[in-house]
Amino acid sequence: MAGGRYLKDRAWLYVPFVAFIVAISLVILLLPYETVYVRDRAYLRAFLATVVACVAVFLLGMLYNFLVWMRGKGLAGTPERRLMRVLLKSTRFVLSRRFGRILSVFVKDAVYLSKLKDRSVTRWSMHLLILGGFITMFFLDIIVTFSMDMAKYQPMIRDDGWAKLWIRDFGFDLAGLMMLAGLVIAAVRRFALRPKIVRTEAADSASILFLLLVVLGGFVLEGIGIAGTVPMHQTGNEYSFVGLLFSKAMPAAIGQYYDQVWLVHGIMSALLIAYIPFSKLFHMVATPIAIEAEKMLPSGASA
Amino acid sequence: MRRLDVSTLDVLSLMRYDACTRCGECTSTCPTGGEAQDEELVTPRGKILRLKEFHKRQYGIRARLLGPRDISPAELKEFSERAYQCTICGQCRTVCPDHLDTITMWENMREFLVANGLGPLAAHDQIVKSIENYDNPWMQPRTQRSRWSKKIEKEVRIKDALKGKPEVLYFVGCTAAYDPNIREMAVNTALVLGRAGLDFGTLGNEEGCCGSTLLRTGLLEPARRTARKNIERFEQTGAQTIVTSCAGCYKTIRQDYPLVGKVNARVVHVTQLVGELIESRRLKLTKGLSRTVTFHDPCHLGRHNKLFEEPRRILESIPGLRLVEMERNREEARCCGAGGGVKTAFPELAQKISDLRVGDAEKTGAEIMVTSCPFCYQSLKASIEVKGSSLKMMDLMELVRESCE
Repeated sequence: MAGGRYLKDRAWLYVPFVAFIVAISLVILLLPYETVYVRDRAYLRAFLATVVACVAVFLLGMLYNFLVWMRGKGLAGTPERRLMRVLLKSTRFVLSRRFGRILSVFVKDAVYLSKLKDRSVTRWSMHLLILGGFITMFFLDIIVTFSMDMAKYQPMIRDDGWAKLWIRDFGFDLAGLMMLAGLVIAAVRRFALRPKIVRTEAADSASILFLLLVVLGGFVLEGIGIAGTVPMHQTGNEYSFVGLLFSKAMPAAIGQYYDQVWLVHGIMSALLIAYIPFSKLFHMVATPIAIEAEKMLPSGASA
Repeated sequence: MRRLDVSTLDVLSLMRYDACTRCGECTSTCPTGGEAQDEELVTPRGKILRLKEFHKRQYGIRARLLGPRDISPAELKEFSERAYQCTICGQCRTVCPDHLDTITMWENMREFLVANGLGPLAAHDQIVKSIENYDNPWMQPRTQRSRWSKKIEKEVRIKDALKGKPEVLYFVGCTAAYDPNIREMAVNTALVLGRAGLDFGTLGNEEGCCGSTLLRTGLLEPARRTARKNIERFEQTGAQTIVTSCAGCYKTIRQDYPLVGKVNARVVHVTQLVGELIESRRLKLTKGLSRTVTFHDPCHLGRHNKLFEEPRRILESIPGLRLVEMERNREEARCCGAGGGVKTAFPELAQKISDLRVGDAEKTGAEIMVTSCPFCYQSLKASIEVKGSSLKMMDLMELVRESCE
């Protein structure tokens, strides 16, 4: 009898998966966040609840998409069983010697987008700026969270610490500016220049506008912090060079709304994460996987 | 309500549908969708988006929660027709910034269409039936297959590969064997191999269709049967090398047959083998041909198999011959419009694409347009004639044969 008809046949994928979501949620909830500046801790709790929900939606969405792939022809067993096999094979592949060689190809093809560079420098720059900014911000977030709330690294916490100035202020602004520049190119190209090859549907506009709102929201928040001389925005503002520019257009009194804007920006960022698997942005995950998939799938996947 | 069977869409194709960023790079260079008729649905992006939409309607989250939505027969018919307007030339794979292997995607898409009773198109039926009944797509009797060789019987020794155990098996292919206008391609190939003193033979009337047409139109099962039968014949000959003069046969035997069974012989295209014979000086090109030629890269030879330099090296080794390149050459070469069953189902569209390619060749100022695929030869020659172009269409082996006389 064919397996996979009963919950027990699928449990060994879903149980570890749910455990993974719970573990991530616990990490998010249990971090002290002592160094996060927000006057009212209720805002922080609302933000964390949103992040947990959004991360869960993100992971479920990814699982759903992966299972859609696994329903395809070429692999044996239930989609869940196939996915587990693929994940195990991928893990073995990542740990193998071959991975080093493939990694350079992967960076060249999927991150540096070598082929796009040859075809259109404008589009290559646009993608590289958005992707580069996104990746940089993701890693900076991890570094900052780890060094502030786990390692309690003082130069990252102190208002005049070198790490705070160069990573939290300058690094984030640079990454945000990269994304902003890329998004502006994308928006101008898509909505103003409209070259013949561009086809704009709701999903395309939504992705660009969502990203723009999040990035601009970050700069607005920083500008409010600087203009209102909110704690952690009182020294070395020149490192937050974009936020500083935004602050010039803001009155000092706006500082009283810092918490609210912080929450809106946080929720928007969390929603963006949840939106990825259900949007055009899913290509950020699917494209690199598709490029390398043939090497990681058990044989016969395309026969 | 009709629900599409998606079980034939393969894992990698499903991934690739999601990986497509819809950038549209493929739309402008697509010979059928972008260049010949400006029809988005024929372009790679158009096909991907439409298939994803169908999939979403019936298998998406909303469909799983609220039930699948209908896809009207008219929508399905339109999609199928447009999908079959693709020549599977692979230009989209060349330009895709996401490195998507679109060639396998389109072949798999056709398999999906066949599984859902949406393909192949009525126009393909005749060819399919012909292959099943006559072992060739041209409705010609099996006994006529080796007729092309009669006129050169005295000039060159062509062994019966099943009895004579030659070193090299020449797989002639249906078009060169049956089409009276293309037969010279087989004749010239055999003469060139003979001039090099090669121990070669053919399967004669026992040669069957390679199955390329079946594969490209999505008929995988009959294609597999054809492949198994051919592999069996290949093994019976004991040949160490199989050479084809048809780019379509070459792609099929080299790339698709190994998915069905092991082909022990080395599979080469005639441009590879002749190139080696020239290099090893077994074949001497002595007669000068003071002509200017341009080479059209057949999709199945070039983009699909990366044989770009082999035919050019042969052309360059012909004394006096001058090779000029079309603006779009090698990986970027424009398709002739005949592949993927397009010429059978949409002859006017195929003609339009051929005209564009002949236009490319005319711009070079060359006297002769050379290729190395009977299908490209057939289409481009017809286009030259219809356009009243001053170009002359030639097969590469014809030039080689002239030069080694």
